[in-house]
Amino acid sequence: MKNEERYIRNKMGDANPFRVPDGYFDSFPSRIMEQLSEREAVEIPMRRSFVSRFRGIMYAAACILLAVFGTVVYINESGLRSEENADDVVASGSTGSGSYTYEEEFADYVMMDNTDIYAYLSGE
Amino acid sequence: MNNYDEHKVIALLSEPKTQRKAFEMVVRQYSEQLYWLVRRIVLTHEDSNDVMQNVFIKAWSRLDTFRNDSKLSTWLYRIAVNESLDFMRHQKSMAAVTADADESSVSNMLMADRYFDGDKAAAMLQQAISKLPEVQRMVFNMKYFDDMKYSEMSKVLNTSEGALKASYHIAVKKISEYFRSND
Repeated sequence: MKNEERYIRNKMGDANPFRVPDGYFDSFPSRIMEQLSEREAVEIPMRRSFVSRFRGIMYAAACILLAVFGTVVYINESGLRSEENADDVVASGSTGSGSYTYEEEFADYVMMDNTDIYAYLSGE
Repeated sequence: MNNYDEHKVIALLSEPKTQRKAFEMVVRQYSEQLYWLVRRIVLTHEDSNDVMQNVFIKAWSRLDTFRNDSKLSTWLYRIAVNESLDFMRHQKSMAAVTADADESSVSNMLMADRYFDGDKAAAMLQQAISKLPEVQRMVFNMKYFDDMKYSEMSKVLNTSEGALKASYHIAVKKISEYFRSND
């Protein structure tokens, strides 16, 4: 395609063959303005900045990020608390103080202690 | 030195007291480049002058449709393209009615035009361009003569860049074939 375009340019050159009367462009604006009707000014919206155009999306994104951050922090802290409670339980040797897990409840129900559970799991 | 600052001009256009003065600045800034866009479509100076007046009268009366989310030049180009095409369609329908359609009329008309300084080859180029479908003609003129970017053309003509590139390639092919067949 470049060859064809080059062929046309070689044949035509770059000169503009069209002409205008002398002073045409200089006088054109005033001639146009004379023709424009007198009317009340109309409103043209000013261009909204990048921030204002995407303000809604940015607020939503900020809220989502905050929610995610808060959730992550909450989960981490909950996990830490659970581990701390479990440590307390192990240190105190008590299953009845602090948090009472499902496994502990089950073990109490079937009246099994840790020795019985280990023996069962190891297949003795 | 050109002091034109589009942001400032648009701000002035937005103010009732300065709107008319700002519009005159716009006319001064864009009239010449719009004129050549129009002239390459309608070909004669007299018709171009008529179309140009319609362009700016329409731009003034529809200033409130300028959404300010595109460049002022893009908006004006769009009006100029539409006015030029409307003019050509009207001329074509008049020619059909009066049976004045003539294959070589464009070339002959230009050679007789006092505001055309080109040689026979230049007249033939305009003849070849005049045979193109409307959109191809616009695309060819904007790309070949103004070297307009496809991204900008896409906004003016509301057509995809891919379609515009294809349109230009086809137009170039047709014109080069026209010259080769008339050599």
